[in-house]
Amino acid sequence: MSTAPDSTHGSASDSRSAQPTSVPVLKRTLVYGGLLALAIAVVGAVLGGIFAGGEGIVSALIGTAMAVGFMGITALSILAANRYAGRASAIGAFFAIVMGGWLVKFVVFLVLLMILQDAQWLNPLVLFLTIVAGIIGSLIVDMIVIVKSRVSYVSDVTLPSAPHDD
Amino acid sequence: MDATTVLAEINGNIATVGYGLAAIGPGIGIGIVVGKTVEGVARQPELAGRLQVLMYIGIAFTEALAFIGIATYFFMV
Repeated sequence: MSTAPDSTHGSASDSRSAQPTSVPVLKRTLVYGGLLALAIAVVGAVLGGIFAGGEGIVSALIGTAMAVGFMGITALSILAANRYAGRASAIGAFFAIVMGGWLVKFVVFLVLLMILQDAQWLNPLVLFLTIVAGIIGSLIVDMIVIVKSRVSYVSDVTLPSAPHDD
Repeated sequence: MDATTVLAEINGNIATVGYGLAAIGPGIGIGIVVGKTVEGVARQPELAGRLQVLMYIGIAFTEALAFIGIATYFFMV
């Protein structure tokens, strides 16, 4: 894992693309979250297959996808909201996208659980355990990425250029 | 059936209450986290990047409990 300081996104002279410095950090959490999902899916599928057969494998894959997918939507929504940075509607868009994404995410999560609750082709215990493992693992990965990232303090501002002396 | 029994009758699964409780706390928590971040960015726009990273980890921890709580109701009851 690279510990090099993050490059600022866009130069100070490019005022049009002055995105917050959190963008590379959030992208990195998504990448490492995806790698973690692969690892948990493999381990969960193997253990689920051993203890619960074919149902266990399917349950482990679905549980991992749900956990890491739903946890990753937060970073995705912040990245989407950052595209509005610098505009007059930035704060409104930020609230709408991040909180709206959170709301939609939980509604979809609830609907998925209601559908999967009575599914005969799933093992509830394996599904639950992989969801918990995915969520806790995702938290650990996020913490590691953020602790190892360096976000500069004032790189989001665009300084006014000095007047030219004629 | 006497009047007291009728008044105290509850239908359905009591675990539904647990699912509702699991949604209240994170809802309040996310509201505070995002609201405070917006407040901070409004005061100091140049700190948006740092505040967003902190906000992200705050949201992640808050919603983790909600996910586990809701999944518990659906699969472990």
